[in-house]
Amino acid sequence: MAKQYDVLFRLLLLGDSGVGKTCLLCRFTDNEFHPSHISTIGVDFKMKTLVIDGIKVRIQIWDTAGQERYQTITKQYYRRAQGIFLVYDITSERSFQHIMKWASDVDEYAPDKVQKILVGNKSDEVDKRQVATEQGIKLAEAYGMDFFETSAFTNHNITETFTRLAEQVLAANKKDLDLLWMSINDEFNLAALEEEEGLCDSVTGDQRKGCWC
Amino acid sequence: MDQSVAIQETLEKEENCITAVQCDILFDKITESRLLGLVESAKEHAIFIYTHRRMAITADDVSLEDIIPVSLDFAIVEVSSPEELAVVGADTRVRVSYRDEELELRLPFGSNSRLFLSEVNRAWSEVCKSPIQKPKFEWINKYTNAIRGHGVVKQTIAPLGIRNIKLNQHLETEKSLDKKGDLERENGSNSGTQKSRVYSSVESRGIPNRDDRDDLVRSSSHTPSNKAQILTMPQFGLRDNLIRCELLKNEELYTYLENYSFFLGTYNVNGQTPKESLRPWLSCTLDPPDIYCVGFQELDLSKEAFFFNDTPKELEWMQAVSEALHPDAKYALVKLVRLVGIMLIFYVKKEHAEFISDVEAETVGTGIMGRMGNKGAVAIRFRFHHSDICVVNSHLAAHIEEYERRNQDYKDICSRLQFRQLDPTQPPFTIMKHNVVLWIGDLNYRISDLDVDDVKELISKKDFETLHSFDQLKRQIDKEAVFDGFVEGEIHFQPTYKYDTGSDMWDTSEKCRVPAWCDRILWKGKNIKQKHYQSHMALKTSDHKPVSSVLVIGIKRINGETYKKTFEEIVRNIDKMENECIPSVTLSKREFDFKDVKFMQHQAETLSLFNDGQVPCQFEFIQKPNESTYCKPWLTANPPKGFIAQGGSVDIELEVFVNCSTAPELNLGKQQIEEILVLHLERGKDYFISVTGNYLPSCYGTSIHLLCQLREPIQDMPQETLRELAEMSGDENAENSEKPLDIPKELWMMVDHLFRNAVKQEDIFQQPGLRSELAEIMDCLDTGIPDSLPGSNHSVAEALLLFLDALPEPVVPYCFYQQCLESCSSASQCERVISMLPQCHQNVFNYLAAFLRELLKNSASNRLDVNILATTFASLLLRSPTKQDFAEKRKTREFFQHFLTQGSS
Repeated sequence: MAKQYDVLFRLLLLGDSGVGKTCLLCRFTDNEFHPSHISTIGVDFKMKTLVIDGIKVRIQIWDTAGQERYQTITKQYYRRAQGIFLVYDITSERSFQHIMKWASDVDEYAPDKVQKILVGNKSDEVDKRQVATEQGIKLAEAYGMDFFETSAFTNHNITETFTRLAEQVLAANKKDLDLLWMSINDEFNLAALEEEEGLCDSVTGDQRKGCWC
Repeated sequence: MDQSVAIQETLEKEENCITAVQCDILFDKITESRLLGLVESAKEHAIFIYTHRRMAITADDVSLEDIIPVSLDFAIVEVSSPEELAVVGADTRVRVSYRDEELELRLPFGSNSRLFLSEVNRAWSEVCKSPIQKPKFEWINKYTNAIRGHGVVKQTIAPLGIRNIKLNQHLETEKSLDKKGDLERENGSNSGTQKSRVYSSVESRGIPNRDDRDDLVRSSSHTPSNKAQILTMPQFGLRDNLIRCELLKNEELYTYLENYSFFLGTYNVNGQTPKESLRPWLSCTLDPPDIYCVGFQELDLSKEAFFFNDTPKELEWMQAVSEALHPDAKYALVKLVRLVGIMLIFYVKKEHAEFISDVEAETVGTGIMGRMGNKGAVAIRFRFHHSDICVVNSHLAAHIEEYERRNQDYKDICSRLQFRQLDPTQPPFTIMKHNVVLWIGDLNYRISDLDVDDVKELISKKDFETLHSFDQLKRQIDKEAVFDGFVEGEIHFQPTYKYDTGSDMWDTSEKCRVPAWCDRILWKGKNIKQKHYQSHMALKTSDHKPVSSVLVIGIKRINGETYKKTFEEIVRNIDKMENECIPSVTLSKREFDFKDVKFMQHQAETLSLFNDGQVPCQFEFIQKPNESTYCKPWLTANPPKGFIAQGGSVDIELEVFVNCSTAPELNLGKQQIEEILVLHLERGKDYFISVTGNYLPSCYGTSIHLLCQLREPIQDMPQETLRELAEMSGDENAENSEKPLDIPKELWMMVDHLFRNAVKQEDIFQQPGLRSELAEIMDCLDTGIPDSLPGSNHSVAEALLLFLDALPEPVVPYCFYQQCLESCSSASQCERVISMLPQCHQNVFNYLAAFLRELLKNSASNRLDVNILATTFASLLLRSPTKQDFAEKRKTREFFQHFLTQGSS
């Protein structure tokens, strides 16, 4: 029997407050755009199903609070992600500078295998641009990441960005997935795989439990 | 033929053979036929294995060989390969194991085997559901005694009744089928390959022994307990079903019709072997048809065929058909199904073969005893592109007067003929559930109310229209008694029955039967046009003439592009729905700021959660890393977890309370009233709630040493200074501009107040003070140096006790505690210990002791005695760093008593 989806991945949106993480997510999952900025205070998530190479990939995208005061807490979510979007705002030099800090946090807290992608959001705001595309490209190269300039407002490069990261995560986990397919015939997800390897807590399926360790 | 009847005859009254199936047991290289019966008694199930005569009808035809109880030690694994089954129906191979034994069985393709396996599964899953109630299988004993020693299972099944039930035995169903339809190919193309990989890994192991198989199971992520669940629960989530439903609903959006020609032929061959080419019949069209469905009746009238369902004619006629197919195209044989003499062969033009999927064949006997295969139907269903098609070839009851019997046969066929579904959670497919039903065969309806000469007269005039009005089938259809919804084309050919074999002459036998259109072709479904409908007089092998029809059928095909769009749209909507169903709440406030948090003064604010999501939700404040609780000790959320119905709300009290254990750090500014709570929704998001507050330091919870350095009220001191002073406190010789106070001024204020006002106070230190007065006293002590303290003597007394209790380091520091215990019996030793205390502690101790001795001088009025005071104060002055036991308490009391009696002794 054909499976409607086969894999579950967790992707995490990181970046300074106000760079548009929530907007990227809303545009991608609901194809909606809300111009007013309401700070995410907490960790929100949405689901989306993608078909990649015929495999139905369900991705759970976590949108995190960008404000600095919450960072000690949000860091604890990194380790459960398989892919991370590092988002800055092309109209904010500061948010671009901070990518370094975000990236080093990711190195410290996220799993080694985590896939990263650099995103320069608000590409529609040409007049206010403070970060040149070349700068983004250069930084992404330095980190060995892919790079996209996006606009949640005009829906520019949104699907491309999310799909690209999902593809990378899929490729990075291909070996494990193949192994798992050998042994079970059911729906499963990477989180379950991690559990078996003892990398993860008692998180089952896409349910998160009230435990961090 | 249902062979469970034969088995039932061998059983006791209370035992019931639920279903039976004939199968082959695969020994090393030999296969032998066996009859399996699933027998139930008092909710226990066992598989009975019988040797049997070829078609078992009564108990005499079967002989019990072995019994396999369906217990937790039982397992059954299906090992068929998916490729085989997807195109042509193949046998189902299963491995049955019980404890150390294993059997490999081959079950014939068809619903009977399916039914048997599903019943076994059901029986087994019931066992798993209640593993506590061990099945005893006592009822089997009487049989096993009889068969012991010559069971089919090589090492005979161990004595029944004594069994160690192992819980880790599993039933694995390896799903053997994979839809090959376009739908699935579009979006699940590699699920097929994945599965075949799984299979090959299983297959290549040969027949693994029990332990191997357990390893195999263990290597998957399922624990034994949920393995059983997987079996009993549908394996496809709500989500998949939704997608499927939606796809079906929107079919028009992504399908279009394309016409294909179906050649249908029916021929009652009267038990003859093929003697002439069938080309005039099967290749009568100009263009080669896309699909051939060729049906025969009375293929073999011999007893052997009847009883053993075995005939050489099957092959002969199949070859004859294969040779006679249209020469301008190449055809692939997809399926052949036969019940005694009723046979249906299904060919498809080679280029269409890949679009044929989900092929299933079934038979139903309606003959002798209403069950035998001399009459009945065979049917093949398949999916062609995106249309489900069912072809039925039936041979209904004979004799002119039996038209009602024929109607009944039709109804029986419709109700009893069921195709298994690829998805076991779906109900079986019946004939009428198909988009297109093609019904051919010797339906045996005759021409009534006309005598033979009138019939022949009309035939010679070719007045088939008039003749047709006497046709029983037409009349029964008009009365809606049979073939409801079916269409038959106009008949422009003479009746196909009954001729003298080898000729075109009407029956010249004694019976001189009235000619009749026995052989017919009908259809049901949309977008079907008949291109021709005719008989073939040239064929003379039988007493019937073959009939053929070409139907042009509009078959649903999928437009890949629009299908993809529709599918994506559906998935998007379902994702959206799912996202909307993620639990969600709105919070009345995200930030809580508590003004002026004071020692021992409770403050609370309300956080309201409103469930604005579409589902009920469960919330909980969750721990942060490296913290044992969800929040700092001075904060509580009440309730810390709970449930909110959809649209409901819950008020959570956020309470701040600084007690003795949390005050010291806050007083020094080492900690702030600052916390971020993480409110987690089960299966949903996390909310951060920040709690802040302005803490007012207090002498309560501040060390004696530090207090001795403070000449000003504590709240007048900058926090910076407090911290600096506290850091120096370890260093006795630290240079200090000012000489420290002998004792904390706050302590002096309280003791002095009591000394002046309360030495004669009745029940002093015995009666509690007022909470509000306590707060006032504390404020007083922390903010100023008043001449007198507010509140009653009892409140001041309690404030003093509380002050001692809140000291981070007790008056007798922890490090001296043990020494005190050891020296408690000797007054001089006790005094020596006290003399060793840091100066300020020593001062405080002596000051308090002196004050208490003063109190005791007035015991007549205040009703205090040594015992009471020793008990009260010893526990405050001599605190144990760990939990105190009773003996220790007694010793501390004894220790302190020395100091209370000092003066008097």
